[in-house]
Parts: sequence; C-alpha cells; structure tokens
Amino acid sequence: MDLTLDEVKARNAEVITEALSVYPDKTAKKRAKHLNVYEGDKPDCGVKSNIKSVPGVMTIRGCAYAGSKGVVWGPIKDMIHISHGPVGCGQYSWAARRNYYIGVTGVDSFVTMQFTSDFQEKDIVFGGDKKLDKILDEIQRLFPLNHGITIQSECPIGLIGDDIEAVAKKKSKEYDGKTIVPVRCEGFRGVSQSLGHHIANDAVRDWVFEKGGEKAPLFESTPYDVAIIGDYNIGGDAWSSRILLEEMGLRVIAQWSGDGSLAELENTPKAKLNILHCYRSMNYISRYMEEKFGIPWVEYNFFGPSKVAESLRAIASHFDDRIKEGAERVIAKYQPLMDAVIAKYKPRLEGKKVMLYVGGLRPRHVIGAYEDLGMEVIGTGYEFGHNDDYQRTTHYVKDGTLIYDDVTGYEFEKFVDRLQPDLVGSGIKEKYVFQKMGVPFRQMHSWDYSGPYHGYDGFAIFARDMDMAINNPVWGLTKAPWNVGP
Amino acid sequence: MAGLRQIAFYGKGGIGKSTTSQNTLAALAEMGQKILIVGCDPKADSTRLILHAKAQDTILSLAASAGSVEDLELEDVMKIGYRNIRCVESGGPEPGVGCAGRGVITSINFLEEEGAYEGADYVSYDVLGDVVCGGFAMPIRENKAQEIYIVMSGEMMAMYAANNISKGILKYANSGGVRLGGLVCNERQTDKEYELADSLAKKLNSKLIHFVPRDNVVQHAELRRMTVLEYAPDSKQADEYRTLAAKIHENVGKGTIPTPITMDELEDLLMEHGIMQAVDESIVGKSAAECAVA
Amino acid sequence: MSQNAEKVLDHFTLFRSPEYVNMFENKKTFENAVPAAELQKAVDWTKTQEYRELNFAREALVVNPAKACQPLGAVFAAVGFEGTLPFVHGSQGCVAYYRSHFSRHFKEPTSCVSSSMTEDAAVFGGLNNMIDGLANAYNLYKPKMIAVSTTCMAEVIGDDLNAFIKAAKEKGSVPEPFDVPFTHTPAFVGSHVTGYDNTMRSILEHFWDGKAGTEAPLVREARDSINFIGGFDGYTVGNMREIKRLFGLMGIDYTILGDNSDAWDTPTDGQFRMYDGGTKLSDAAAAVHAKATVSMQEFCTPKTLAYIKKKGQEVVAFNHPMGVAGTDRFLMEVARLSGRVIPEEITRERGRLVDAIADSSAHIHGKRFALYGDPDLTLGLAGFLLELGAEPVHILATNGTPEWEARVQASLDSSPFGKGCHVYPGRDLWHMRSLLFTEPVDFLIGNTYGKFLERDTRTPLIRIGFPIFDRHHHHRYPLWGYQGAMNTLVKILDKIFDVTDADTNIAGKTDYSFDIIR
Repeated sequence: MDLTLDEVKARNAEVITEALSVYPDKTAKKRAKHLNVYEGDKPDCGVKSNIKSVPGVMTIRGCAYAGSKGVVWGPIKDMIHISHGPVGCGQYSWAARRNYYIGVTGVDSFVTMQFTSDFQEKDIVFGGDKKLDKILDEIQRLFPLNHGITIQSECPIGLIGDDIEAVAKKKSKEYDGKTIVPVRCEGFRGVSQSLGHHIANDAVRDWVFEKGGEKAPLFESTPYDVAIIGDYNIGGDAWSSRILLEEMGLRVIAQWSGDGSLAELENTPKAKLNILHCYRSMNYISRYMEEKFGIPWVEYNFFGPSKVAESLRAIASHFDDRIKEGAERVIAKYQPLMDAVIAKYKPRLEGKKVMLYVGGLRPRHVIGAYEDLGMEVIGTGYEFGHNDDYQRTTHYVKDGTLIYDDVTGYEFEKFVDRLQPDLVGSGIKEKYVFQKMGVPFRQMHSWDYSGPYHGYDGFAIFARDMDMAINNPVWGLTKAPWNVGP
Repeated sequence: MAGLRQIAFYGKGGIGKSTTSQNTLAALAEMGQKILIVGCDPKADSTRLILHAKAQDTILSLAASAGSVEDLELEDVMKIGYRNIRCVESGGPEPGVGCAGRGVITSINFLEEEGAYEGADYVSYDVLGDVVCGGFAMPIRENKAQEIYIVMSGEMMAMYAANNISKGILKYANSGGVRLGGLVCNERQTDKEYELADSLAKKLNSKLIHFVPRDNVVQHAELRRMTVLEYAPDSKQADEYRTLAAKIHENVGKGTIPTPITMDELEDLLMEHGIMQAVDESIVGKSAAECAVA
Repeated sequence: MSQNAEKVLDHFTLFRSPEYVNMFENKKTFENAVPAAELQKAVDWTKTQEYRELNFAREALVVNPAKACQPLGAVFAAVGFEGTLPFVHGSQGCVAYYRSHFSRHFKEPTSCVSSSMTEDAAVFGGLNNMIDGLANAYNLYKPKMIAVSTTCMAEVIGDDLNAFIKAAKEKGSVPEPFDVPFTHTPAFVGSHVTGYDNTMRSILEHFWDGKAGTEAPLVREARDSINFIGGFDGYTVGNMREIKRLFGLMGIDYTILGDNSDAWDTPTDGQFRMYDGGTKLSDAAAAVHAKATVSMQEFCTPKTLAYIKKKGQEVVAFNHPMGVAGTDRFLMEVARLSGRVIPEEITRERGRLVDAIADSSAHIHGKRFALYGDPDLTLGLAGFLLELGAEPVHILATNGTPEWEARVQASLDSSPFGKGCHVYPGRDLWHMRSLLFTEPVDFLIGNTYGKFLERDTRTPLIRIGFPIFDRHHHHRYPLWGYQGAMNTLVKILDKIFDVTDADTNIAGKTDYSFDIIR
C-alpha cells in the first residue's frame, strides 16, 4: 500500500522525532539539525553538516588519516605511503579499499602494502624524526624503484611536535630532489575523513606542484588531453570510465588517484580539462589548478546509463565537434547493452525502495542508476558531506526524502526499521546489522567486493548485484516456519 | 603498600624545588623513614644531591637504548644514595622534541609494575614546573601522590604558578584523593614575603607549612652535590629542613582541597600587602619613556 | 565491447578483455613506468640472499607487520561480556577501523563507540568527551556495562580515565552504580594481545576490587569452580563452543571470562542483536572465588593471570594448545584442577584424531612449513606440526618477544623434526618474503595477508590466523580440542591434496600421478 507524498513526509518527520526522543536533551538538540525531510522546492536538504560528531553515539565516520592515506594518497601506486605512528592505522586500512592497479607489488607498485614506522613508547617520548630519517633510507635501499614517498601522520605526530617537514626536505635533498611529501593528516584533525582529503589535496599542491618544479614532459600535448580527478578505481571504476573517454576521442593523461602514479599527478597541469567525479575529496585541487594553470573542471556522474550519457555530453561540450560526435557514438554503441541490462533487471527491481548512507559523492550520484532500474531512493545521507554536497543532492532526490547527516548507528537502525526499504546501501560496519534484520544490503563503498560500477560496463554489474541482493532467496528463509504467526 | 605515603613537590622552575625536596627527604630519612625519590623532570636533577652525581641514568634513556621499558629491570634504573634513599629519574627528551609528559606516565607505570614502591615509607615525586599537561599530572592521579607540596616564594610568578598548580590539584581532588599538603616558601627575601605566602596559602584553603629562610650554606652544600643535612648536619639550615620534614610527617591526612583564586584576586592580594599599587589604567602598555613624558 | 547483459562479466574477467588490456598498455606512456627489463631485474633481485640480508638489516621500517594495536584487543575482550559496549576514548577514526576489521573477519556487526576527540580535546583534554560520550552511549544503546579503553591520542595527552569516569558519574552521565571498567591501552606499547590482557585485567579488577573504590572489595572464598580465558582468538566462536562442550562432557563447574561466541555469531532472523551472550556480569564478579583460572593463551594474559594469582587462585597457562599432546595436557590439567575425570566419550574423540593422523600422516610427514601469527597460536601450531612429523621451518611473530622465541626454540629442540627450524620474533611479513625466497618451504600458514606471500613466492597458503577476510565462516569451527585438531588437520590436508592435484594435472605430461586415490 503506497503512501501519499504527504503521508510519507509526515511519517518521516515522525520517525525523526522518535529517534531523537531517546537522546539526552543536549544531544537531541545537536542531532536534530542533521536530520530532515527534504522539501522539494528548497535549495538544500535542510541539514547541518561537517560538524563534530557527538561522542558516544556510534558515528560511522572515520578520520583525517583515513581521508588522506586511505582515500587520496594511498592509491598512488608508485609511491610508498608510510603510516607514520603506531601500527594500527596502517594495519586496519591495509589493502582494504580495493583501489585496483597494474604493477608489480613490492617492486614498482606498493598500494596493497603496509609501510609503518610502528611507533613505540620511546618514539613518542623522544620524538620520531630520527626514526623517520632512517625509515626513508631503508625504503630507498629496499624499494629503489619507488618514485616518491609520502608520510601519512597518525595522531601522535602532531601531539609530540615532530617536524616531519624538516625531515622530508632534508631527505629529498639527499636523494637528488626525490618527491617526499609530509602530510599532516593526524586523525584528531577536523571532524571526519573530509579534512584529510583537503589536507592531502593541499599536500599535492605544496609538495608536488609547487616544490616539485618543472619536469621534462613524458609526451606531446594534444587538444584532447583530460585528467580523471576523484576516481579511486575501486573494483576498477576508473578503468571502466577511462575506456569511455578514450572511445569518444579524448586522451586521459592522468588518473587521480586510482591506478595513478606520481608522473600522472605531475602531468595534470597539461590537461585541457579536469573531469571531477568525487567532488568532495578533490574539488580543492581542481579549484587550485583552475586558478593556477587555468584548467577548467567539470563534474560528472558515471553511475547508470542516464547519467553516463548526460555526463559524456557535458564533458564533450568543452571540446570540438569531433569529441561531441564521439560522445554520441559511444552512447549509441552502448545503448543496446544498456537496453538489454534494463530489460533483464528492471522487471525484477521496479518499485523497490532504497536507503543509502555513504561517503563522498555516492549518496547522490548513484540515485540515477537506481532510477534507471525503476527503483526509488527514499532516504540518503553523507558520512562527511558539506553544505555544497547537500545542495548538489537536491538535483537528485525527490520531495519527501529522509535526509540524515553523520547518522548514528541508533538512528540508522530506527530509520530502516520504520521505512522498511527493500535495500540498504552503506558500509561494512552497517552491512550485517541490516542483514540480521532481514533487509537486503549492498556495501556501497567497496561495492561489496564486486565492481566496477562506473560507466556502461559497470552498470551491468551494478544491476546484477542489486538484483542478487534483493532477490536473494535467503530473505525468504529468515523466519523459522514454526515461528511464523498467522 | 599500607602506610605508604606518596607526596609530590611541584613549583615554578628555578624556585629551588629540587633542593628543598632533597633536603627535606634527607631529613625524613634521618628520622628513619625509607624514601624513594621519583624525579619527573626531563632535566633529571631531582636526585643529584642525594647521589652526589651530576645526573643519574634515566628510565627513559635506558629504555630507549634497550628497546622498550619492558626490557629494563628495576636494578638498572634505581640508585641508592644518602641514608639509603632510593632514587630514580624518569628523564625525557631534549627540549623541543617528543613528549616529556608521556615520559612521566611511562616511567611511573614501569615503577609500579616492577614493584619499586615495596618497602618504602615515602615515595616523593619531584615534578617539573607546572601541571602543563596530562602527563605531568600523572603523579596527582588517584592512587598516586596523596599530598602535594608547592614550593614557592614571594615573587609574583612563583605565586602565580602556585595558584595554577592548585587548579591542577583541584581537578583531580574531587574524583581522586589528592590534596594540597601546603605551601613551602623558599625565601627570596622579597618584601613581606612571609605574610604574602601565608595569606596566599590561606586563600588557597591551605597553609604555609614552612618558611625556609635563605642561607648560603645551601649553595655551599650544593656545589659539593650534597644536601645540607649531609654537608653541615649541625647547621641552623639543616634544622630548618628537619622542622619541615617533621611537619610533613605530621601532616598525614591533613591535606585540603585547594580553592584556587583568579588573577584579579591574586593581584588584590599583592595590593593588600602593598607590593603592588592599584593599577593606573592610563600607564598600562606604556614604555618608561612614554610615562616620563606623561 | 565484452560486457554482456546475459552473462555479466565481473572485474575478474572484464579487465582481461583486449580493449582493457590495450588501454592498460597505453596508460604506461603517462606513468613514467619502469622499463620492463629493469623491472624484471629488480624483481629477481628481491629474491636473492643479498636482498634478504639488506632486508634483515632494517632497524626502523616495518613492512606488512602481523600485528595490530592495543585497543583492538581491548574491544575484543569487552565484547565477551554480557551487554557490554566497548567505548574507546580518543579519536573516532580508530573505532571505525576496529569495527570494520572485526566485521570483515567475523562477517558480523561489531558495536563499539568512540568519544570522538578532536583538535580542541587534544589541547584541553577529553573530559567533556567522556562526560557526553558515556551519557549518549548509555541512553542510546542501553548497555549493561561500558568498558573504556584508549587510543594513542588520549594516551599522548595523558587523559586520566579513572578521574574522568568519576567526573562523568558525578555529572550523571551514567548512574553511580553502573559498571564502567577502564584501562589505558596505548597503541605504541605491545600489540592487540596486550590490549586484550589489559582489558581483561581491568574488568576483573573492577568487579573484584570494589568497582574503582565505590564498593568494598570482594573477599575471596575458595570454591571449586574453574575460570577459563580464551585470549584474543579469531576462532573464538568455534573454540568457545568446543570448550563448553568439552567442559560439559566432563561435568566441570566453570565460568568463561570473556565469551565472544554468541556476540559474533548471531542469527539472521529479522532481529539485530546488538548484544548477545557473553559472560554474565555477576559471574565475572563471582569468578574471584574460583579455585583456578586456565588461560588458553599465556602471551595474551600475563597481567591478568598475575592479578588472579595474587587473589589466591591457581593459574595455569597454555600456548593455544593444538593437536593430540597439546589437547592431552590441557584436558589433564583441567581434570586435575576440577577433580573430574576425562570421560570415555572424549577419550574416543582422541582416538579418532589419532586414527585420522595415522591415516594421513604420509602426506604431511617431512613437509616443510612456514608459519606466522600471534605468539600463542604459532606455538600451538608448531607443536601440532611437529607432532604430525612436519617441519615448521620458519616461525615468525611480529609481536613475539624474546621469551616467546625461547619457548618456541625449546619446542623445536624437543623434536627431531624441529632441527634446522628457526624462530623470528619481532619480524614482519616482508622478512618472511625473503625467507620464503631464500629458504623455500612447501606450505605457508598464516592469515589473509599471507596471500601476498603466496602470490609472490608461490608458496601455497593455508589460512589459519587472524584476520581471515577472504575465506568465509572458518571462525565458526574450532581449532581447540581433538575436534579442533581434526579440523586443522583437514584444512592442511585439503591444501596438500589440492596442490598435489594441481601439480600433476597436465594431460599426457604429468597426469600419470593424477591419482583418484590418495
């Protein structure tokens, strides 16, 4: 029985009130600002964002280190990223994000390795700069083909006042100007991963662009050179995107940062257009390149055929007819595949309701892909979005959608329990909570170890995965037959 | 560990804290008390008069060279000095690097786990300057020092520091058992020093437990890296420390929860005793030359 | 275009299609890629003795360690108590990591909260975070107990949990009598097993020593029951259930201190259970009266056992006992402590295990193994391998101490199969890589990260350890007891047979040995 829009809105407002009723007053007041029912004519979602998480509520957020090492820098494959501090941070984030790359791990590529300074008490008390100095020597000795090193600060580094910048400069000089990047992404900085993205972007600006100096170009420029910004190649996303850009006649000279390399970062100022997928994590460097090098940037969305086509056209609009025709050619080429995918899966998924809670861009970007399959997103929220994300979200969500920023474990469980979606898309920490409740679930950070989901090739997998989650026969087995009431 | 008295000496840097504490502890040792000194100052100078040494090897420097504190034995870090006073120095990094406060935590945890306090009547922590961070507050956590003695003088900054330290104690006094044992005034021969110290003590809901007069014999002893008790046991100054020691010994359980005062109140106190004039707002921020013109 | 709606290609195969392979090749132009010949030279160099020596000369850099940090162990220990919410005081990202880490291994939710300290708390201390955090956690998640530990951030700035928790109670964050045991778990000391130990001790101390000075300490009255502590254990679900079964068969009056078996194995039946099972808090308190405490993992519980011993109990520690002799020793000690006899049923299980070993030992005998993991697990496994007539050639524990090294060496010295085997405390998996290249073995035993070693060195990996992310459900099966040894034996045998088959399956070339009976 479908509710009317007004009923949906009333129910959602009630659900928010119910969830807030359990909190102590002070916390309820704070959390209330992060929860809302979207009013279709408003310019944003009506929630506060990018504010400190409340202690003790089981926020799903991570930290600045996760944003820098885990997201932005970690996928740069030919650089070694030192998790600088105690062993844990590097251990828990070791190879966990599925940033695919081509390379010989441990020899010329290092993404799925865990390099740590493994701080001991004496390093805290006496400072860790000498140890870092030695670590850089040992890396050079054992991994001579690395093209650069980053130092990803964990919490203690900033607290004990280590001068990692001084060490980086000194060692860079010793190693003939080698790129060594100190990153001040201590986990206590900021309120979530988001500041880590920003800090990491700034580190690229300061230590690759500004300190790096001019490098001899590896290739001749063409008018069709573009850089993919903000695609981490999870499950191969950047690849299934790149192939479309190349098919339409563009030349991708850099991938930031999935399957990326230091040389690609350095190449990027030669791009004619920066095309930006994850706005949240890489708008900073895109804006910088626009100001400094005059490179325009365009946001795009490669989830689902509608958005892919729209985005291909938007990208092509920055180029001449050759590219515009290329875009149309690509769209046409994949149309039969898309038709076949939709013909196969839409009947199985039509009308299914989805609730999302993810990171950078997905709480809005994937909505189109669900809609291509006839599904409806009835609730969404960002782990670490800012106001500009919630503004952009208004282009995607429907009137009456439940919006939850930095949702707590408690709220999310309550919301799903009351809204009864057919699918929840969120992360590993949430997955089993909802599956226990009998709600189909897909991890929308790691693609649940599947993917790619970007581009046309990715959409086929996306559609198949959503179908296998929702139409899994196991969901009919959760109740023991002898316990099923009349 | 029943009956173990844990005390700590805090005070502004350069106030004579280590000298006062070592002389007092030497006097307590003379009374037959078994003493353990835990130096919690990265300078590691809390035990030099007892050991006749420049500075002893510290827990943290030994741990750093051995690998970690788990690799140390108690014998490695503990030295025996005058009248069998046992001495350990926590140590810490050079100025400007690392985290000295964490060093204090590490050292005290190590000593407790190794049973360093067994058999002692007194454990005395000698702590750097001020309660600047959680690490330097370690000795006043629950089940650590029960009484804090603040070494101060009639100088404005020393009194300011004493008030600050009281704030640190107050923070832990409500939840734990730490108390302010009293103020020890180390005479600097400033104006109305005794009166000032005494009224500050009262304002802090404490007492001036002893006023230690200035005497050059302290310096003579110090040049020989000795306490006055050892260098000139018959001197008047040695008796002063004996008196202080006896008062501290008697002071068990008599510590109070301090009532730190505001900066304004502190200035009022100085004005009350005629040390400071009421501030003429018109001269604030003016140089001597500017004032002369005006 | 290779993608196909009828048979959707996954990343496994999609990217092998020619258009992608071609694209990867073209991308190299922009990568400043290392020329193929130079790359190959470097690859080969990393396999040499020379490289091994450089690798072992490392003093500061750690690469691919097999250990995690203290608070992870703290969360593990806390989860084992009834209705207990782990609360980690410090930066919030850490908690996101612990929860993910456990969920990836157990395929279960892991509830845990953070006090979410940020830059201002780094300067002013985290007292307010504690006050608000406890209040929120208590109201939202209705725990029976909140077990507090710390991240390295809180440790560096020196936050005092005892004082903070008292202050929070005074402010009414949680009711005065509500149980909030706490322990400091600096990440820069020890490893996850240290955090387990600290937390287990702190919880017992809380109940036995008067709840942080709020009640009179319990006075121990010697009773006949036995306490059992499992330690940090990736197989805790299967292992705990096996222990309960064995103790049940023996009729022992026992208390498991820290029982995670239900919390990490809840049913999918429409209901999310934030808490399930666990040691009852009243049982944890009453455990002070027990006659003795048995720890399955000595290196996980040194401080806990020392504390329990001080209370007057006998303490007995094992090193993750596995196999026939290991299980024999364990059961005989338990029988001695409890005054119970080992029943015929268990004796028959033992017999069946011996039977299985006898049936299969020809395939294991003399096989060379490398293994790594936590100190106790590696000790237990090495013992079992020796018992099977296999050679545990390289034994490595990143969190192994010199004491552990001596213990493993003693075990090696006690068996003719231990000759020429070596122990590597404090080393990491990059060291192991050099070992596997320069002194190859037949099989590697370790956790999921071992797959990188398997890929590089072609040493077949048998997954035993923590974490196991890329195989499912093994944590539901025990490694302990005769039944656990049987599981382990089968795990090892399956891999041996798979490798043998894969090695003899080229038609017309090697498949004469592709036997259907082995």
